[in-house]
Amino acid sequence: MTCDELHEQLEPFFDNELGLAEAQKIQQHLEQCPTCEAIYAAGLAVREALQKPEVRFTPPGDLRSQIRAELSKQVRPTPQRRWRLPAFEIPNWLLPSLAGAAAVLVLWFGFNIFPTANRSSNGLLATVTAQLVSDHMRSLLPDHLIDVVSTDQHTVKPWFAGKLSFSPPVYDLSSQGFKLIGGRLDYLGNQEIAAVVFQHGHHYINLFVWPKSESTYPADTLVQKEGFNIIGWEANGLTMCAITDAAPDTLKTFVDLQKKSHMSAE
Amino acid sequence: MNEEEKLTRFEGEMLPLMNDAYNLARWLVQNEPDARDMVQEAYLRAFKFFSGVRGETGRAWLLRIVRNVCYDHLKKRKVYSSDEELENIPDNNSPESNLQVKSDVAAVRSALASLPEDFRTVLVLREMEELSYREISEITQVPIGTVMSRLARGRQQLAESLKKMREKDLV
Repeated sequence: MTCDELHEQLEPFFDNELGLAEAQKIQQHLEQCPTCEAIYAAGLAVREALQKPEVRFTPPGDLRSQIRAELSKQVRPTPQRRWRLPAFEIPNWLLPSLAGAAAVLVLWFGFNIFPTANRSSNGLLATVTAQLVSDHMRSLLPDHLIDVVSTDQHTVKPWFAGKLSFSPPVYDLSSQGFKLIGGRLDYLGNQEIAAVVFQHGHHYINLFVWPKSESTYPADTLVQKEGFNIIGWEANGLTMCAITDAAPDTLKTFVDLQKKSHMSAE
Repeated sequence: MNEEEKLTRFEGEMLPLMNDAYNLARWLVQNEPDARDMVQEAYLRAFKFFSGVRGETGRAWLLRIVRNVCYDHLKKRKVYSSDEELENIPDNNSPESNLQVKSDVAAVRSALASLPEDFRTVLVLREMEELSYREISEITQVPIGTVMSRLARGRQQLAESLKKMREKDLV
């Protein structure tokens, strides 16, 4: 490979957009050619400079709420629609199948839309969700996030032991991109609950843990409220609930990792 | 999906991306008040067209809208003084960091800020947001070859101006 050939492919090599075979050729050339190696090193220096987190700009604290306020102006509550008869005639031959379809619909609606047993638990769920969201938001205020600052699970877990009647599982997932940064006591109603705090890029995740009670959280369902994403599950008689402003897929990955750590710990 | 459900889903998918959206807007329009307006406008525009995009695609999609809103704005803003913009760069991050780090960060920021817009855009998308060539090409609406050549020239110019700054410091 000549230097000119390399220059044509240096950017995609540098940005991991080349196939393995081409990348190896470039690698070999760089090892032998100080001139090209210097260009490559200059690119790396630029990358290192730009990837310092301090070089990024972070949004002003009130921008999120301002955007939410503007968005909600775009949405008016859905008006109750009146049922209208279709303005066309239904051919006779269609009537039996329509009747069948209607019967199926009645059964479907009957079983799914009005599951009376679930009504009260839905109300409870909404209350729990609202409290967790406000706990999460309060934790993001300056100096509210963490009571025990530690990236070591063997420090965070015993810290809870002196304060709660149950023992929340604490796993450090920094190698998978979710850095344990500490723990905190929080409240759900009058009950003291554990909050294990993780950081993912510039997002925070609060993992709330409390003993399982009649107020179970729907397992593995993504709940969205006020722009936050929430997933709950159960493990060893404990209810776990992770909440974050990170994207739903990120949260799902986090929850899966928590479950895996839990299973391998047992 | 009714409007309220749409809003709930939109907020869940798109608000997590606000840091990225703001960073891009701030680097394109180069001052805080305008960047705020751009991000807000982009979110309103995005909401109108939202029908449930996901994951990485959602990120590229939102950033494309941010970039378009910013470019519309820049086209309207005819007087364009780069000296004034350079002075306008506050270092609002990490008050706890020491002076050395601060001056390094300020140097990198002003070097990037003084690059031509096209180069600055691809560098922000590639090095800060770590998007692929394909995504950058979709966001900036130019072919991948152009993305590559802009990256190459942007890197080269940035390396040179950083080097000059360091030499000045040493004298």
